[in-house]
Amino acid sequence: MTFGHAFEDAPAVWGIGRVVVDDVVTPWPAAQADIDDEAESLAPRLTALGLEPAGVVLIVSLLSQALHVVPLEKAAGKVGALYSSADATPFDAFRTASLIRQLEVQVVLGVDGGVLDGLEANGTDLAATFGGLTAVATVDEGAHARLRAAGLAPRSWVKLGPTSAIEAGDGLRYDAERWQVEPDPGTGELLVTNRVPRLTGCDRLRTGVRATAVEPGLLLP
Amino acid sequence: MGDPDRRYFSAEVETRPRAELDVQREERLLGDLLPWAYERSPLIRETWDAAGITADDVQSMDDFHAKVPFIDKDAIRDFRDRHHDPYGGMLCLDPKMTEVFSAIFSTSGTTGDPTPAPYAGRGPSMLVREFWELGARPGDRFMHCLFTFRGPGIHDTIRGIGATPVFCDHQPADVAQVVRLSRDLRPTGWYTISGPMVMMLEAYAHDTGDDLREAFSSYRGVIFAGEPIGPRARRLVEEDWGLELFLQTGVGDVGAATECREHDGYHFWEDTCFLENLDPLGTEAVGDGERGELVSTTLLDKVAPLIRYRSDDLVRITRATCACGRTHGRVWPLGRKGDEVLVDGRSVMPGDVWAAIEGVPETSAALFQIVRTQREMDRLRIRVGYATDGRKGLDDVRTRVHDAVQAAVGVEPDVELVANEVLLRQGPPHKIPRVAKQ
Repeated sequence: MTFGHAFEDAPAVWGIGRVVVDDVVTPWPAAQADIDDEAESLAPRLTALGLEPAGVVLIVSLLSQALHVVPLEKAAGKVGALYSSADATPFDAFRTASLIRQLEVQVVLGVDGGVLDGLEANGTDLAATFGGLTAVATVDEGAHARLRAAGLAPRSWVKLGPTSAIEAGDGLRYDAERWQVEPDPGTGELLVTNRVPRLTGCDRLRTGVRATAVEPGLLLP
Repeated sequence: MGDPDRRYFSAEVETRPRAELDVQREERLLGDLLPWAYERSPLIRETWDAAGITADDVQSMDDFHAKVPFIDKDAIRDFRDRHHDPYGGMLCLDPKMTEVFSAIFSTSGTTGDPTPAPYAGRGPSMLVREFWELGARPGDRFMHCLFTFRGPGIHDTIRGIGATPVFCDHQPADVAQVVRLSRDLRPTGWYTISGPMVMMLEAYAHDTGDDLREAFSSYRGVIFAGEPIGPRARRLVEEDWGLELFLQTGVGDVGAATECREHDGYHFWEDTCFLENLDPLGTEAVGDGERGELVSTTLLDKVAPLIRYRSDDLVRITRATCACGRTHGRVWPLGRKGDEVLVDGRSVMPGDVWAAIEGVPETSAALFQIVRTQREMDRLRIRVGYATDGRKGLDDVRTRVHDAVQAAVGVEPDVELVANEVLLRQGPPHKIPRVAKQ
């Protein structure tokens, strides 16, 4: 056996990520097939954001978000694009700015308040940093508001249990063939159910997200 | 796939006879890497042309040692600035080749703009050997707590030994989850823990009263990376928490070297890189086990190959076979050449004062920086982080740090105390700069 030619058989469980709702962490085992299917599902979302073949999407995240991030990385490949990575921390915010500048990034996903704190602490102009992009998607309302205040038109990336919804021009889009998303009649909170097999299934799982379900696959924040 | 009880992940490679390692190195280097890099890497071409050689002039390892010029970080930066090339002239392929590359990652950027690094990886890395050495096996769970999320290299590698990664952040906010998931999911390997992570875990245990020895009882081995570990932190992790640490260090930006169960030096893999150990002020090789500067050459990387890269790292290297049976060389990191200060003609490196600072309870996190405005200094200046809620008693802390450092290095220091958080903000989560210019 030599390096590069032989490894152990891949484990049945691709990895144990997590679903976080209202700060409650639920470990979430996923299979390789789940990740590959999510990637297939998310590729049109990246295209809708303006990512083109040979373009670059920068994903700003943390390892604990692997369940949601790795499918997006693979989705970039399905678009024929490349992805790059920066950590969603104030310290690593300089990397987000540097890579946008150096790699001629088209789309940035995952900007949060901590990243904006780090950029502003470095004296980075938010409008200049993100203004040349085709799209920038935030993951929290505070970051969204700060980018709007800077004169930008950010999109949103929202985690719906184990899957993602990403804002296109007309609202938040998710894959209604793979996921059923419905509001809780009592609270209005969105609940998610898998419609295709997943290693870890969910049945009307709370998401912590409130939005209006316009039609299958489309939400209005 | 293989016998889970086998001693090595890849015995054929890890215990390959020295003579065969040498032959393999020459074949890869002379027959493949050097002509490839000279043909395609603008920096290598420019540097070699300036030295008056071509790839055809390097037909033997003697030629390599005698003729191939060095490069270093400054040369790469200089090329980048002159040519507006973010890759510093290192790249041998078009980064937009999506049939080759899937991603573009980047270097740490701790000393400037991060340098982009196109990623052509497909599957696990050579770290499968280290993860196997920790004792992790197929079917196990494995704590993936790297200080950064840059690509699939590590989680693919964990799967390469048949284990399942458990994803956690190397961040203060996630320490409780690291403990909880260790207890609930019973991982056997952990990559990585660092000095700041030890500090976070210690604070967590202090605040919650949680029993970390019990929570961590499933681990067979943990890789410690980022910086050296002081004796106090090591005692805490190994004796109080019951973890066996395997220290890891980078080797000249061409890979990593990690301890085996003998804990007698860090193994580097000679089928992936060629390491020289040279006089830090010259070009001659130092002897086996002697102090020198690490100069690295890749044997695998055809995307951005480093060839005779002067790393600035001071090391000892031996190629004697380890008691574990591995034939590949071992390295001991001693510090960075650029970190050394001379005070009254006496050399002081961060590692020389580490244990002294760690030994004072209020500064036991060993967060400190040597202030180095130039190599030769009239006074030894040290900025030291302390953990306390108020400023009561700081003069006493300063005096004890002063005395401990003076006893350790024989030089009287000027000690500046700052809150730990001030220094932690300066670094990525797993380390801080140990030398500051001001």
